[in-house]
Amino acid sequence: MEKIEINRNEVLRYLGYKNQEIDNITNNLIDESIEEIRDLMEGKYVYKFFKIDKGKGFLLEGTNFKLPGQDIKSHLTDADSCIIMGVTLGHKVDRAIRYYGKVSMAKAMILDACASTAIEEICDKVNEDLLKSVKADNRILTSRYSPGYGDLTLDIQESILDILEAKRSIGLSATLHNILIPRKSVTAIMGIVNETYEKAQPSCIGCPQYDDCSYRKGGGTCGY
Amino acid sequence: MDIRERLNKEILIFDGAMGTMVQSKGLKLGELPEVLNIKNPEMIRQIHQDYIDAGAMVLTTNTFGANELKLKNTPFEVEEIIHGAVENARNAIGRKGIYIALDIGPIGELLEPMGTLKFEDAYDIFKRQVIQGVKDGVDLIIIETMTDLYEAKAAVLAAKENSDLPIFSTMSFESNGRTFTGCTPLSMVMTLEGLGVDALGINCSLGPREIEPILDEILRYSRIPVMVQANAGLPAIVDNRPVYDVLPEEYAYYSKKFVEKGVRVIGGCCGTTDKYIRKLVEKIGDLKPIFLGMEGRSGVCTPTKAVPIDGVKVVGERINPTGKKLFKEALKSGDIDYILREAIVQVEAGAHILDVNVGLPEIDEVKTMVQVIKEIQSILDIPLQIDSADPKVIEAGLRVYNGKAIVNSVNGEEKVLDEILPIVKKYGGAIVGLTLDEKGIPNTALGRFKIAERIVNKAEEYGIRREDVYIDCLTLTAAAQQKEVKETLKAIRLVKELGVKTTLGVSNVSFGLPNRKLVNKTFFAAALYEGLDLPIINPMDKEMMDTILASNLLWNKDIGGSEYLAGQVSHNTGFTEDKNDEMDLSDIIIKGIKEKSRAVTSKLLGEYEPLEIVNKYLIPALDIVGDRYEKGIIFLPQLIQSAETVKSSFEVLKESLSIDSDINISKGKVLLATVKGDIHDIGKNIVKVLLENYNFQVIDMGKDVALDKIVEKVAEDDIKLVGLSALMTTTVKSMEETIKELKKVNSDIRIMVGGAVLNREYAQMIEADFYGSDAKEAVKIAQMIYS
Repeated sequence: MEKIEINRNEVLRYLGYKNQEIDNITNNLIDESIEEIRDLMEGKYVYKFFKIDKGKGFLLEGTNFKLPGQDIKSHLTDADSCIIMGVTLGHKVDRAIRYYGKVSMAKAMILDACASTAIEEICDKVNEDLLKSVKADNRILTSRYSPGYGDLTLDIQESILDILEAKRSIGLSATLHNILIPRKSVTAIMGIVNETYEKAQPSCIGCPQYDDCSYRKGGGTCGY
Repeated sequence: MDIRERLNKEILIFDGAMGTMVQSKGLKLGELPEVLNIKNPEMIRQIHQDYIDAGAMVLTTNTFGANELKLKNTPFEVEEIIHGAVENARNAIGRKGIYIALDIGPIGELLEPMGTLKFEDAYDIFKRQVIQGVKDGVDLIIIETMTDLYEAKAAVLAAKENSDLPIFSTMSFESNGRTFTGCTPLSMVMTLEGLGVDALGINCSLGPREIEPILDEILRYSRIPVMVQANAGLPAIVDNRPVYDVLPEEYAYYSKKFVEKGVRVIGGCCGTTDKYIRKLVEKIGDLKPIFLGMEGRSGVCTPTKAVPIDGVKVVGERINPTGKKLFKEALKSGDIDYILREAIVQVEAGAHILDVNVGLPEIDEVKTMVQVIKEIQSILDIPLQIDSADPKVIEAGLRVYNGKAIVNSVNGEEKVLDEILPIVKKYGGAIVGLTLDEKGIPNTALGRFKIAERIVNKAEEYGIRREDVYIDCLTLTAAAQQKEVKETLKAIRLVKELGVKTTLGVSNVSFGLPNRKLVNKTFFAAALYEGLDLPIINPMDKEMMDTILASNLLWNKDIGGSEYLAGQVSHNTGFTEDKNDEMDLSDIIIKGIKEKSRAVTSKLLGEYEPLEIVNKYLIPALDIVGDRYEKGIIFLPQLIQSAETVKSSFEVLKESLSIDSDINISKGKVLLATVKGDIHDIGKNIVKVLLENYNFQVIDMGKDVALDKIVEKVAEDDIKLVGLSALMTTTVKSMEETIKELKKVNSDIRIMVGGAVLNREYAQMIEADFYGSDAKEAVKIAQMIYS
């Protein structure tokens, strides 16, 4: 896929920035890291559409996979089908962050923040394209919901990768403890809903990530 | 007929896809095709039957994912699935002359350093599959669709060490000419050929059209039979299923073309069916194998980088404890970061290969060699030269090395040759041969040539090609053996006639003389003129590196002089001494100007004792930076840059402490680890940098660390404070278990925890003694414990 932009403000947010004065060395380091990640990333994605058989416990049709837990079910209350996607930045980014971890922690940290920003931006981009495609049928998408949110446990990661055939198609796998490899990767579920669907008001109360949210700890929000 | 024999007489035709066939017969997305071996054996038998009817000569068992990790959520064991699969294939075979290949695909979890699976565990997983395949009487083993060369190596070793069967091995490349993990075709060829597989090649991912350029590359390099199993084109996803765009006729057209180019084994991958194989068989007809006459080429590699020895390549010599106090200390204390820094600076200075020598009587050399190799290859893509006299160290090193390595060294002694050459052959390495034997170093060039010849002959007896032998003609000391110095140079020229490459360490020549650099450089230039290929030098020595540039220019190797000119430009715009060196060290730290701190600290050493510098500059500056961070005047990256500036200052101070000084400035030991299951370690590493700044000795256990390892280390090193990090809700559990166990074993131990998912209450709940909200707080906790 084509190169995406990396939003500098997002990078700073990941770095815990709160309007401190940034010196030239740090500024240059951030700019240089943004370019480096744009250069290193090999963004790849895969997605599939599934009808949801709610009568059979939120079974994704054509598979034996049922969405577990309550939270994803309420996220998909108004949806009769969904899209599952997997997105990754590839191994080169991981390798660079590992390398700089031994050379300069400051650089490693900033690269990590740039990569986190980049993967989110690719997700947004894929999301946007998918939204366009469902809009043709007068439908829209819910927000992205990933394993690890609320009570949607991480151990479904392997099943998601299998039904996406993500290992072979984009080289995305998971560790025994369900951490995605390459590290800068995302899997997510989006419900396909009618245009009349109203997105829940953005509020932190009620968010499944409430306790663990690092944005909120820092006094901000994730923007949803 | 034995399959190896048949491979030399005719084109071997494999079957096509299994997954595509079972999906078309109703396998659901995400389901494992392997369970059908037991649940629906007739379906699998029929698929094999269809392929036989189409003309396939080799059946691939339905065992691509029949490994213990993929099968863990099924009621079946690896052994019964493989047994069933082989039976299904056997039941389909009516006539003679059909072979059964045990199919082994990737495990599905990535190996370290990308993932968390250990190389040794991957080996065990594959071993289980191989043993069952052998038991069931398969005719060969096909290791396919690999994207990680390291995983392919684990599988090949498992196959070789647990069977005598022919091994075919293929990897999947993307349209950019690399596998998902970055492996190049040349690196694959060098490595798999070295490991002694019977055929190698490419499969899956791409259609025949897209595979062709990558295949051409493989055919150019490979000296063993090449195999191709392409997909039926690039897939479009329709109704969540891949649909392929290449039809059987076109597929067969390409197959024939591939065979005419020299491919010896052909079949199909995703999207191909018996129809494809039938067309392919028709089209290929009775084409005979083409044997490509391959010239020998020397080279070594990592998965992502192949280094052909086709000109002067620098072997960096600095990873070696001989005569280096700090290096010895690092080896003894297990300070891998120190060794990694030595590797990094050499690569940055232009080394092409790194010699790795970790021989020290007081340490476990085998264990250290394995660890250092694994660590270096996790961050750098530079080929390594394993330097040891101990065959056990050499074997352990070659085993875990990812790619094709050099072994340093053997000499002309029969016993040494017989001991080491078989190991080098087994793992497919290159070998350095020293021109000496039990009688010592011959004085004459001819004497050394004779030993070289003996080494080459012996290597070839063991199946090591001469282009993988690098002869070291040995440098003598001018001060002691002046008239023999030129014999080394003559010998270089002589031994090159054997068709080998040459290597040489040069600095010995000047031993005992004043102005050694001048003597070294002069001798070096002469050696390069005689044809030295692999100088073993310190790449940080700019003059030596420049001598190579100048030689390449003078002897018309650097045609047009572009490399020479580029080298001179970087000289002029390089780091110039400027007035910043007048800056105050405290100021440099506060501003985080890391690259200035070494020079300024060195200068201060003229005036002050190391400890004075620590107290007068480093600590006060750190306090100011820490304070500014806490007040929100600067943010984390700035704090870390200052911390790293302090760290490089410290390095200078440590280097200056004389050999016999016993100044221990450490305030106490802190063990840090990211707990089992978690691999997020940036936060932990930040804590480490800061703790080290405040003179705590950090024992960094790394990430995904098992509980018992932590407990063991705590007891072994008598540690009072442990810092644990976890970044996921799921791994906090693992943190809790670690704390419980640590306290059970040692009730005095103090534990601090940190990580994004934790907070004070949570930390209390899992019975940690302290919660560190950030790195600065971790330092305060350590100071409190050790005050």
